[in-house]
Amino acid sequence: MAIGGLPLFDALKARMSWHHARQKVLAENVSNADTPGFRPLDVKPPARAQSGLQMARTDSVHMTIGGANPNDPTKAQRRFETTPSGNGVNLEDEMLKVAQNNQDYQLAASLYQKSMGLMKIAIGRGR
Amino acid sequence: MDLLKSIVAAASGLRVQSGRMKVISENLANADSTADKPGADPYRRKVPTFRGQLDRELGVKTVELGRVRTDTAPFRTRIDPGHPAADVNGEVKMPNVNSLIETMDMREAQRSYEANLNVISSARRMITRTIEILRA
Repeated sequence: MAIGGLPLFDALKARMSWHHARQKVLAENVSNADTPGFRPLDVKPPARAQSGLQMARTDSVHMTIGGANPNDPTKAQRRFETTPSGNGVNLEDEMLKVAQNNQDYQLAASLYQKSMGLMKIAIGRGR
Repeated sequence: MDLLKSIVAAASGLRVQSGRMKVISENLANADSTADKPGADPYRRKVPTFRGQLDRELGVKTVELGRVRTDTAPFRTRIDPGHPAADVNGEVKMPNVNSLIETMDMREAQRSYEANLNVISSARRMITRTIEILRA
């Protein structure tokens, strides 16, 4: 079985390429921070892949896995401001998104590395 | 690779902001450049313009400096009858440069420049992190 076929690696790979694409879009926003009429763009997060495992709710007050996500980047879009020249880029917001993108990418890369470690243990070369 | 594209976009931002700084420093340096004979116009303030651009080869929306236009605001005048450029009323036309506005513009250029630098270092960290996976 190839490593590419594992759902965990596939999910992490999708996540990492999403961060790549988002970094490019954010860089375009920042570099066009003074272009008249420029509207900032963002990338929609990838849809959650359906894994074979489901979380069981043993109590009615437990939160579901699909609950509200406070870090959802598509939220908090409503407080943009537009300058008289029609430019909608808010540098602080963009910096925040760049930092968050970077952090999340580091997380995904670390998880990928850890999963590779698991594979190494499985083939008897770990540690 | 998208991370390299993001560096291309941010680098175009750096280029534009440093071109803007050049225009601002020209304005500040010429804040007192009067004409040398009566009736002639003194230095006119320059205004940089920005233009969004699509890099078709890479598919990146970069930015570039458009034509540098001149400010159409009226000139300031100063009473200085002994000046070689003074008219019959003793008034000398001074450039329409306001050093406060130029300083504010300079701050803005500086801030945008730093933002672009931030994006570049963030993309570089992501690339380094990717390479580190190989080393593990």
